[in-house]
Parts: sequence; structure tokens; C-alpha cells
Amino acid sequence: MAKIGLATHGLARENPRFPGQAMIRVRNLSKSYTVHKKAPGLWGSIRSLVARQKVVKHAVRGVDLDVGEGEILGLVGPNGAGKTTLVKMLAGIIHPSGGEAQVLGHTPWERNNEFRRQIALIMGQKAQLWWDLPAADGFLLLKEIYRIPDDRYAANLAYLAEVLDVEQHLNVQVRRLSLGERMKMELIAALLHEPRVVFLDEPTIGLDLTAQRAIRDFLLAYREEHRPAMILTSHYMEDIQRLCKRIVIIDDGRFLYDGPLDQVAQAYAGQKVITVHLRRGDGSPPPAEALAAFGDVLTAGEDEVQLCVPRERVAEASAYLLAELPVADLSIDEEDIGTIIERIFRERRVEGA
Amino acid sequence: MSVRLFLQVASVEMRKRMSYRVDFWINAFVGFAAELCIAWFLWQALYAESGKDVIGGYVFDEMLVYYVFVIIFARLVRGAEFEAHVSQDIYEGGLNRYLVFPASYFGMKYAQHVGGLVPTFVQTALFLGAWLVFTGGAGGEAITLTTVLMAAASLVLANLLYYAMSFPLHAVAFWADNVWSLLITLRFASNLLGGRMFPLVLFPVALRTANEWLPFRALFGLPAEALLGRVGFEAWLQGMAIGIVWLGVLSLIGRAVWRRGNLQYSGIGI
Repeated sequence: MAKIGLATHGLARENPRFPGQAMIRVRNLSKSYTVHKKAPGLWGSIRSLVARQKVVKHAVRGVDLDVGEGEILGLVGPNGAGKTTLVKMLAGIIHPSGGEAQVLGHTPWERNNEFRRQIALIMGQKAQLWWDLPAADGFLLLKEIYRIPDDRYAANLAYLAEVLDVEQHLNVQVRRLSLGERMKMELIAALLHEPRVVFLDEPTIGLDLTAQRAIRDFLLAYREEHRPAMILTSHYMEDIQRLCKRIVIIDDGRFLYDGPLDQVAQAYAGQKVITVHLRRGDGSPPPAEALAAFGDVLTAGEDEVQLCVPRERVAEASAYLLAELPVADLSIDEEDIGTIIERIFRERRVEGA
Repeated sequence: MSVRLFLQVASVEMRKRMSYRVDFWINAFVGFAAELCIAWFLWQALYAESGKDVIGGYVFDEMLVYYVFVIIFARLVRGAEFEAHVSQDIYEGGLNRYLVFPASYFGMKYAQHVGGLVPTFVQTALFLGAWLVFTGGAGGEAITLTTVLMAAASLVLANLLYYAMSFPLHAVAFWADNVWSLLITLRFASNLLGGRMFPLVLFPVALRTANEWLPFRALFGLPAEALLGRVGFEAWLQGMAIGIVWLGVLSLIGRAVWRRGNLQYSGIGI
């Protein structure tokens, strides 16, 4: 079992793919909030009128990061891990408690217009467009805000609306659009000015599978064409796997892993998944206790048995299964990335407790 | 912030407000009419009870005209529901979107405020028309082109001044989350000391003198008095100068509170 803790590799390093060209550079960045706690019930409410308990929450704890041109970095972590706080600092919305960050050579929270003209923030849970107006009116306003020349605006809008297939909805009030259509409009709104850095906070949340796929495909195409640096937070592993070659795993404000997505398994997966398909009618599988001696039993049915076992016991477990069961087919796979990450968080919670 | 952007933001806000038809027409007549009816009944009773024809230098018709204009001016100064915007942006995290835009938040909000006034202008014109039809303009005989211009200049100042007064209170939302009570207090104080409830001439002399040095009189009392020819040019200029100084002071306070509050901002709502 891999020890869960601060992964050393990939942390605080220059982006090897873009040496010296990091568009986002973060050093020892931290953010703490003071939150007030109130005891439940009427008495708690009355007491809070006089005195409230203050609690300092460390949302981000001294993290380092570099993101290069054309890179989509996946920020993965459970709720409250510090993902959105980090994105908010890098977009210049909130001030940090300590550390430094440079985005395109600017300190984000100084909010100078030169910086803000080159970034975009897309929030899946929060509408950016004007609710009561047709999206086209909102885009015109953004044209003025970002001072986009007429020809560039027309070309960009036509391109984005066509690729996202929303041309027929441009003149409909935003509040009357479906969630998927609205999200596509949000993407257009964010990308009209051709930002060089894009922050995507849960861009596919709540969308159906078709809309999710369309947005992923669009983001990949956009990345190829414009080469922006992107930071993506998402709870959907499908987003991360499809869009990101590199991920950062964050929990409790700390980076646990920063490196290639396909190496997460090597760094953390002390386990492999053995799947055997059984020949029908050749007896029942051995009792789950016998299988559990090798590792976690994921499935133990009449047709299929699936075990998650430590790497060093893979050979032993495979030999046992081949000897004891009517095996029609056997395969050994790395753990699913989502499962690994879930396990990392689960084990950290257990350690913390 | 460019003039073009200002006009574009104001135009968007105007279209937004005009899109709520029911709200527009209810506001146009019911709001005005209800307030004027209350003033009519109240002052009729006060004149009858006191047995006087003139109170504070106003005969009954003039008093009603004073109310017609302070009701209108209050709407033009405060705009429609502006009070809710800034503190709500802070409380709900709607501020996030503006902080990412390469444009001044103050400027954009003021442009929205101005854009929101356009429907109020239309409503005002309807209301004034109705007043002229029903009363023939009785009580407003002192209105001249000069007093109209003086009132218009006062209204521009009053609009900026109210914005500057309410902004620091909205910014308290960085710490207090909910600032509704502060805004209500401002509304009450400005109604009372600004001449919205009754003409300032009815205050005791000491209070009236003190109030002349506060920013409130410039909100409603000064524009109404200027329009109705009840204040001389020099006194009007002095009132404007006091208002302008307060505008500067309040803008500095607003800026300082805003900067300090920004350090506290957590962008909740994303």
C-alpha cells in the first residue's frame, strides 16, 4: 500500500514541457479564512448575538505550481479541499494570506486591467451572463468590457456559436435556456476575448452526458487552436481523464500529488484489479472469505469475480483463482484512476481520524 | 471606464427594467398615487386642525406641490432598488464576475444605477402629466426655466451623493454579510433630514442650521426648494458646495472601506 502523504515528485517544479514558460507560477501560496460557528437551536442563536466562536480555516496551505502554455491542469479533490479557493486567488477574486502568484507576469489580486483582459473564469455553478437578457445582448456588453474589435468579435462569436451548436439560441433570454445551452453560452462569454489563461470551475456540473461530451470536445479543440493555459476543477473523473494529462490532487489545502495523470497509479496504486470471467454451470465461486484473504473483493458472482489485490500478491492470487475456479478469461488491470483517488481521500480521512 | 461602456451597461440595465411590464406600470401609478394620497390627507388634516392657511411658508396647494416633487426626486435620486445590488453582490458572490472584468466595479454599478433610472424618468413624465391634468399645475407658479435648471443640477449632485452615501454601507457587507438594517437607517435618515418627509423649514431653527452642514439636505430638499423658487441663488450655491464637499469625503470613505473589505472577501457563491 502506497503511503498517503505529500508526494514529492512533481511538486514545486518547473513545467518540464515548457521550461521557463510557465504562464501560471505559484509559490508557497496560502489562504486562511475566519469562519464563525454557531451552536444549533434557539439558545445557540441567542448566544451568537452576543458572542460567536471564531474558527480559522486553512483552505490552502503553502502550495507551489507551474502551468505552461497549452496545458490543461486538472485540480482534483473532495469538497472543501481548497480547489476553488486556489482558483479564486489565481483569478484575482480573493487575496491570499501568504505566498506569491504570477499569472502572465501579473499578480492576480492586484487586478490590473491588462491581466484581466487575458484571463477567463468559467463557473459551472454560477451564471456569469445576464439572466434577463438574451445571450447575444450579454455578448455585446462583453465586447465593450473587453474592447474586442468589431471584426474579431463577429468572427469569434460566429466560430464559437457554430462549434457549440447554439446559433439558434443566441437571441433567447438566458433564463429560458436549458442548463446545457446555458453552459455553452457561458463558455462563449468567457472565450470571446481569446483569453490566454482559462480557469474552469466544474464546467460540466449537472449536465447530461451528451452535453458533457460536447463541452469536453470543444475544450480540447479550443486548446489545440489557442494554446491557453487552463486549470480545470471537476468532480467528474471523465472530465479529468479526457482533458488533462497532468493533475494535482489536493486535500485539506495541500497538494498530495502533482504530475502526469497516467503516473498516479504508479505513485499511489499499490494494488491491481484481477477480473476473472467464469464458465457458466461449472459450480459456484469459492466463499468470499477465501477471496478476501488476497485483498478487497469487488465482485463475487457466479459469472464474474473481481479482486483488488496488492501488487506483490497479484501472481499468488491469480494462481489461486486459476486453480480453484472454472476460469474462462482472466485479466489484470491497473486500478481505475477515480478509484485510486477516492481511496487516497478515504485513507487520509481514516488516518486523520 | 469608457463612455461607450458606461452607456452600454446603462442601456442593458434599462432594457432589463423595462422588460418587467407589470412592475413598470404598478410603479408608475400606484406608488406615486399612494404616497400623494397620504400626503394629501395628512396635510389637509393638519391645516384644518391648526386653523392656519400657511404652515412654514407653504399654503396647502404649495405643500402638495412640494410633495409631488420630492416624491419624484426621491425616485430619481435613489433609482430603482439600487440599494439591493452591491451588498447582495458581496453576500451572494455575484461580485466575482465583476472582479474578473477589466472594468471599474464602481463605474459599472453606477452605470447600472443610471440605466435603472430611465424607466423612472418615463414614470415621472406620466405622473407629472397626470398632476398637470388634475390640478392645472396649481401651487407651482414659481417654477421658471432658471429654477428648473437649478433643480436639474441639484439632482445630478443628489444622485451621486446618495450613491456615495450608500456605497460604504453596502461595503460593510464584507464583514457583516447582511447590511439591510444599515440601509434602512440611511433611508430613514435621508427621508427625515433630506426633506422627503416634510419641508426642512418645519424643523426648529437650531436643527435646521445644523442640518444645512450635513449631506442630507442636498438630496431632496435642496432640489425641491430650488425648483419651487424657495431658495435664493447664493443659498443654493452654498448648499451645492456643501454637497460637493460631502461627495468628496464620502467617496474617499467608500474607497477606503472597499479596499479594506476586499481583503476580507471570500467570494462565497462560486
